[in-house]
Amino acid sequence: MLEVKDLSVRYGQHTILDRVGFSVREGQWLMIVGPNGAGKSTALSAISQTAPYTGKILLGGRDSAKWKPAARAKYVGVLTQNHHVGYSFSVGEVVKLGRYAHSAGMFSAKNSDDAQAVERALEITGLTAQQGQNVLTLSGGELQRVFLAQVFAQNPKLLLLDEPTNHLDLVYQKQIFSLVSQWLKQPGRAVVSVVHDLSLARAYGSHALLLHQGRCVSQGEAKSVLRAENLNAVYQMDVPAWMQGLFAQWQGE
Amino acid sequence: MKQEHFRAWEFAAFSAVTLAALCLCVCVGSVNISLKDTLLVLKNAVAGLPQGNATASTILLSVRLPRVLCVALSGASLALCGAAMQGLLKNPLADSSTLGVSSGAALGAVVAIAFGIQLPALPIAGTMGTAIVFAFASMLGILALAYKLDYSLSTNTIILIGVVFSMFVSSAMSVVITFAADKVQQITFWTMGSLQGSSYFNAAVLGVTLLLCGGVILLQSRELNAFAVGEDTANHIGVHVRRTKLLVLIAVSVLIGVCVSIGGTIAFVGLITPHGVRLLVGPNHKRLLPASCFSGMIFLLLADLIARTILKPVELPIGVVTSFIGAVVFVLIFYRARKG
Amino acid sequence: MKRILALILALSLALTLFAGCKQEDASAQSGAITVTDMAGRTITLNEPATRVVALTASDCEILYAIGAGETLVGRGEFCDYPPQVSEVESVQSGYDTNIEQIIALAPQVLLMSTMAQSEAQVKQLEDAGIRVVVSDAKDIAGVYTAIELIGKLMGKEADAAAVISGMQQTFAEISANPAGDGTQTIYFEVSPLEYGLWTAGSGTFMDEIAVMMGLKNCFADVSGWAEISEEQVIARNPDYIVTVSPMGGADFTPEQEIMGRAGWETITAVQNAAIFNLPDNELSRPANRLADGAKLLYDFITAQK
Repeated sequence: MLEVKDLSVRYGQHTILDRVGFSVREGQWLMIVGPNGAGKSTALSAISQTAPYTGKILLGGRDSAKWKPAARAKYVGVLTQNHHVGYSFSVGEVVKLGRYAHSAGMFSAKNSDDAQAVERALEITGLTAQQGQNVLTLSGGELQRVFLAQVFAQNPKLLLLDEPTNHLDLVYQKQIFSLVSQWLKQPGRAVVSVVHDLSLARAYGSHALLLHQGRCVSQGEAKSVLRAENLNAVYQMDVPAWMQGLFAQWQGE
Repeated sequence: MKQEHFRAWEFAAFSAVTLAALCLCVCVGSVNISLKDTLLVLKNAVAGLPQGNATASTILLSVRLPRVLCVALSGASLALCGAAMQGLLKNPLADSSTLGVSSGAALGAVVAIAFGIQLPALPIAGTMGTAIVFAFASMLGILALAYKLDYSLSTNTIILIGVVFSMFVSSAMSVVITFAADKVQQITFWTMGSLQGSSYFNAAVLGVTLLLCGGVILLQSRELNAFAVGEDTANHIGVHVRRTKLLVLIAVSVLIGVCVSIGGTIAFVGLITPHGVRLLVGPNHKRLLPASCFSGMIFLLLADLIARTILKPVELPIGVVTSFIGAVVFVLIFYRARKG
Repeated sequence: MKRILALILALSLALTLFAGCKQEDASAQSGAITVTDMAGRTITLNEPATRVVALTASDCEILYAIGAGETLVGRGEFCDYPPQVSEVESVQSGYDTNIEQIIALAPQVLLMSTMAQSEAQVKQLEDAGIRVVVSDAKDIAGVYTAIELIGKLMGKEADAAAVISGMQQTFAEISANPAGDGTQTIYFEVSPLEYGLWTAGSGTFMDEIAVMMGLKNCFADVSGWAEISEEQVIARNPDYIVTVSPMGGADFTPEQEIMGRAGWETITAVQNAAIFNLPDNELSRPANRLADGAKLLYDFITAQK
């Protein structure tokens, strides 16, 4: 579904990504991990064509740069971390924006598919009752659910998540990740996400890509990438020991 | 789902208030003409009958009506531009003036006056042409600089460049004035701005421009909604971000160029009107844009009515009135927003 | 470097003190000139001024009229009459009055209007030993006062008196045989329609000239200079229109522009083409040429009948 070859991103003298390559197939959830500044989010920006890059990015076999924005949006959906909505839109209005790429032309005001997709997205995310609410009154976690509903309404084949649960408390982390894994169960879909939390990466990811200073250190199945020897080298610490220490406190509860 | 478009009754209500304001502004003016005479003149004009009262009919048909039309159309254009810019840049303080488009247009008009660029048949065509060209050129300049500095053309970059550009324009204006010392009187009068002497031709130019450029802007309602939620969102849901920006910015610069060349720079209409309208109809541009058009008309019509009549036979510059009302309304809105 | 600066400072201080002493000596002499300017300030000169900077166009014109044009060492940027004034060095005036430049020209007297001066500016100039004289005529009597004042400063009282009596004579001739009978109305257009109509109301020299010709100023109910509504001009229907606006181009004159305005065809002055253009500021400056302007307007109106 997604094939990335020789992806490099440079801002002036700085090389953010250096000849990275990977691919994602149907049903896979690729976790991009690595320390701060490894180039994780930049890789996602390049795929969604919001950052300049060199190399090739193929979506469904076609060069991503040559897709029209609306066509690309039908294939790729993006959920990022921080949202600051400018004005007091309602939940329903924000979710409905996800249908933008689908309602062809400017004049097709009424489209029953659109209405249905929005209804479904609101339902899945449990927002049906709140659809008239002003988004400026929502908490960060609720707002993230609204944008997840938007991307569900957009109905892409490939979902890109850029640290979607940063700054969210555990309840919302759990909600978002279980909603996405639920979504992935449908055939013909795949997820690429950037996460900080290595436990979450191991728990939900089928595959992983470990980046360090813009280069790919290891990639493949999540279990084989997220191993002590790889992680310890990149993070310069004993990662499993730290994790186990953290979780040991909860044993016997 | 909540209704996104204007409901029929909302449309009717806005139209009715606007029409009432229009009628009020035609019937009340610096010279008192009784309602009976006014109606008679209008009836004769519509029916194509000869006018009995020459002075009343001339004042109403040749002076007041074209001016009221120009004021209404300018108000609609300025408010529409303000609403579009505020959506596009996701910034409630954005306006053609913060972007530098108004100052660019004004510089164009001043250059036309200073160097005597004018068409013999239509004295205003010279200033209008150069004002549009300069508004458009400043837009292109701002965009080119912004693209150079920032690939994604973010809000902050545009506003920062707009501020810098406005400063540049004001110094350029001083230089032009220094070089054209013999025209300094004309330039001074022009920069004070006046809607006096508005003609049906001006109204027609404004009307056609509003129809074309306003149409372009209205057709971008959904895209503007996306921008108002966030530029990232616009990108992710499949909006052709740069094309939309270019379309809206071009439409705005043409509208502003025409408005500035006809009425001078009129402050606060583009900034204040969408603010108030958003409180009434919400931020969705499918409702916000048409509602801003109507409200801009009403606001500027009433401001002009005050400017024309409060000290009659003396006139106040309309900008004085809009700034005064605008400042008061602005404080009220902020007060309410803080409390609410 | 610092020492040199200190030295210069001390020297210049000493010089001002010295100048101050000299001034006191001079005022004691019998040949000293003492005048009260039009802001009510008293100014003393020990001898007629030989170096003058004048910031307003009207003061420049008065200086030339009394034969003191050659004393002018600097002029405001808008001064354009008589033509030879353009050879005098131009000085920034108004809000941007260039104090340094004026001090560098070392005049004994600076003529300016109250519009152009701020107190800080005046103080700076007086500290530099320049006498600031305010000339600010609003009406014809004010013009006489200004001419007299400038005549005294230049030691040209006789010439000033001649100029004044010449003006008085012209005005007397006009009022002795008025062009109108007090019923005809006149409208003075100071700025053209495109920029908002400005006119001269009561208390202006234009209004006085209208009255002396037996005409009624349309906007006598407005005081001073003001922007008025276009519909008011049409409703008041003037018999004569005078324009002093800088409008017009190679292909059309200000008169044509007024004639072509929509809705103005009902105005008597437009119907009779009774529109008079005074392009050289004869009627718009409070100076000696007001008499010429009045005469031109008088001739135009008598020729209309």
